[in-house]
Amino acid sequence: MKIDIEKLKKIVGEKNFSDNPADLYVYGADASVHHSLASAIVRPNNIEEVQKIVRYANKNKIPIVPRGAGSGTSGHTVPIDGGIILDMKRMNRILEIKPEDMLVKVEPGVVDDDLNKALKPLGLFYPPAPASSRIATVGGEIAANASGVRSVKYGATRDYVLGLKVVLANGKLVNLGSNTRVHSAGYQLERLIVGSEGTLGIVVEATMGIVPIPKYRCLAVANFDNLEDAGNAISEIISSGSQPSMLELMDKIGIIAVNKAMDLNLPEVGAIIMFEADGNVKSAVDFEIKKMKEICEKHNGTGIEMSYDVAERTRLFSGRKKLFASLSKYKEGIICTDLADDMGVPNSKIAVTAQKIHEIAERNNVIMAVYGHCGSGVIHTKIMLDPKKKSQWKDAEKVIEELYDFVHSVGGVTSAEHGIGLSKAPPWKKARKDILPVMKSIKKALDPNNIMNPHKLMDAPDDWVGATNLRYKVG
Amino acid sequence: MGILGKIFYTKEKGNFKRLKKWEGELNKCIRCGYCYELCPLFKTNNWESDTPRGKLLLIYGMITNEIKPSQEIADKLFQCFYCKNCSDNCSAGVPVTEILSDARADLIDAGFDVEGTIVKVDEDLCSVCGVCVPVCKYEALSIEPDGKDKSKIVVDKIECRGCGLCVSACPSGAITQKEGCEITLPELHTKISDLLKENKDLKAIVFCCNWSLFPGMQLSESPTIVKTPYSVIVSMCSGRVAPELMLNALEEGAWGVMVAGCPPEECDHDGNYKTRRRLVLLKNMLKELNIEPDRIKLDWFSTGESAKLKKSIDDFVKKLEKLGPIKKMEVSKEIGG
Repeated sequence: MKIDIEKLKKIVGEKNFSDNPADLYVYGADASVHHSLASAIVRPNNIEEVQKIVRYANKNKIPIVPRGAGSGTSGHTVPIDGGIILDMKRMNRILEIKPEDMLVKVEPGVVDDDLNKALKPLGLFYPPAPASSRIATVGGEIAANASGVRSVKYGATRDYVLGLKVVLANGKLVNLGSNTRVHSAGYQLERLIVGSEGTLGIVVEATMGIVPIPKYRCLAVANFDNLEDAGNAISEIISSGSQPSMLELMDKIGIIAVNKAMDLNLPEVGAIIMFEADGNVKSAVDFEIKKMKEICEKHNGTGIEMSYDVAERTRLFSGRKKLFASLSKYKEGIICTDLADDMGVPNSKIAVTAQKIHEIAERNNVIMAVYGHCGSGVIHTKIMLDPKKKSQWKDAEKVIEELYDFVHSVGGVTSAEHGIGLSKAPPWKKARKDILPVMKSIKKALDPNNIMNPHKLMDAPDDWVGATNLRYKVG
Repeated sequence: MGILGKIFYTKEKGNFKRLKKWEGELNKCIRCGYCYELCPLFKTNNWESDTPRGKLLLIYGMITNEIKPSQEIADKLFQCFYCKNCSDNCSAGVPVTEILSDARADLIDAGFDVEGTIVKVDEDLCSVCGVCVPVCKYEALSIEPDGKDKSKIVVDKIECRGCGLCVSACPSGAITQKEGCEITLPELHTKISDLLKENKDLKAIVFCCNWSLFPGMQLSESPTIVKTPYSVIVSMCSGRVAPELMLNALEEGAWGVMVAGCPPEECDHDGNYKTRRRLVLLKNMLKELNIEPDRIKLDWFSTGESAKLKKSIDDFVKKLEKLGPIKKMEVSKEIGG
């Protein structure tokens, strides 16, 4: 594929273009197991530049892969067909904060935590907060419909998207959605872009809802001897009508890993639940916490600690925040890979799924931690294996197939908040054959030349191991 | 790359004997990216290949023969200030800076020689006075024989941390660093001028030490939203903030300049002792120029004390608002050049 380097340099400036092998190699990976090379990287600074690049790519049928922080776990930004990577991190301006309308207007490269730093002095916050909020960009969060620890009360990114400016594959700029909380005028096109993983268009500006920071937050931690009790406690907290603002699970593997990585000295019990309530009336927060504590105790939860203090809450939560990155410390020679990482299951199936994950892992010679925002049904896992052994990747393939068959059989979903990308496409396509033609029709209507992040989601290869090079040296 | 190609490059460009031992550690990097929003080089250059995780991937690619060692890769790997914000925050425990030091050594063995953030001595300007040698806590500078009767200053390219204390200590201006990472005096001068031109309401320029304070200070650009009466410039070490930079800021319209560094006993480079001495002299000089010495402030902060920093800056700005703009500036235009 021949790319007109001079044309791209003219659009973004020489300093914001690269085709040197070092850059191409680095931009070939995100946080997934995949690796593939693009032909060029450009860093646009404004909407007009994005439009010019897209028009050029569309005319010449060159793939375009928009990229935020590169923190995606399933290969969304890995350029499987080569082409041009659009690094959107230069477009990182917070354009407007309107407390009177409870919304912000931002460019897609704004980092989640940075937005919250700007909102905090105004007593406001932007809630989706994935664990990677320190680096994740708003654009990437929209592309993956990201959510996080507060999703149990505050929902996911899709619940905050009011309006989007999107550059379509033909280079045209469209304004989707509105500046209001409600609108009823045909297709909710802004929602169509949420979770589209860069396959339909490029978000160049987002109008997002924001909420007030509650006056009180109380975080509690309960220990359980086994995963089953912990899972049942979570299910009952939700079905009892409690309103946690956070309800997290960590299994023993996760606890051991964060203890090793961070010297936290957490009790190495079967599982830990972290539950939080927030609100503006302290007695109401007390009521919610007490109710959840009683449910934990009913399910044999012990050693319950709680605190309203910010520093203490940060300490209690620090292990959970860094769990994902700590898993490589669990056992020497075994590393943590981003596979089968974010299934969603119905509330009543938390305990049975958590146990099933351990059973499948053990049977297939890999280790899997179980954790996540289980209050909203999100179960995170990671497959921990020896990446140098070819047989371990075969084991991983078997685990993924078996695990997702189980998740789908109990009414769960392949991905709750990280998206499909490449590595989750095979099980998802198997489970959702009914919607694939609809998605393909939409894609074809909006991107007839198939330039927008091609061969992802419904068009991804059926063999995730062979879809790209693995970024590990195998054998 | 084919098998023959791989053999050729391995033979031609070194065997990466030091780096190969890190393969297991490199596999542990989950690529979460928590390292890179804390990296001052990434914040300046903004390319993924400037991030710690990007550099680790380049090293992994080289030792697994997936990518050829090249000048571009060497350029990236020789750029690091060793602030260790990355390795200190890596939950997978990857010793990023140790790996980078071995990468430097292996690349030098393989025949690559680049500047990166490493200091360079101009032998024509250097009088070999040796002032720079004890300034460097890492013993990266030494006086070595140069022919029969001469000697010269030699830089150890693996040990140099790029803090730049020797640059500000050299009386001949013979030690420099490459431009491009916003650390050289001309770059910092330009930055001060730009900030004061962009925001006419700016009262104070605040130099913050990268090591203790930078991680808590970052913010995506928000030109229309967060209008503060001060602007922060990240310096590699408070010992690096030259007096002429501060005078330059006052000359161009700032009402005051603050330097925020690590407490004396906590500085990685022992640079803050030098800052303290310099600022005493500078305040005396301001008195001579009929400028209130309170327009210069020095304060110490440990890692993570961003709330204390914010309060200190706010107090300083309040003081400046009482003092008002500088009435008469008698600093020669020559100073700070």
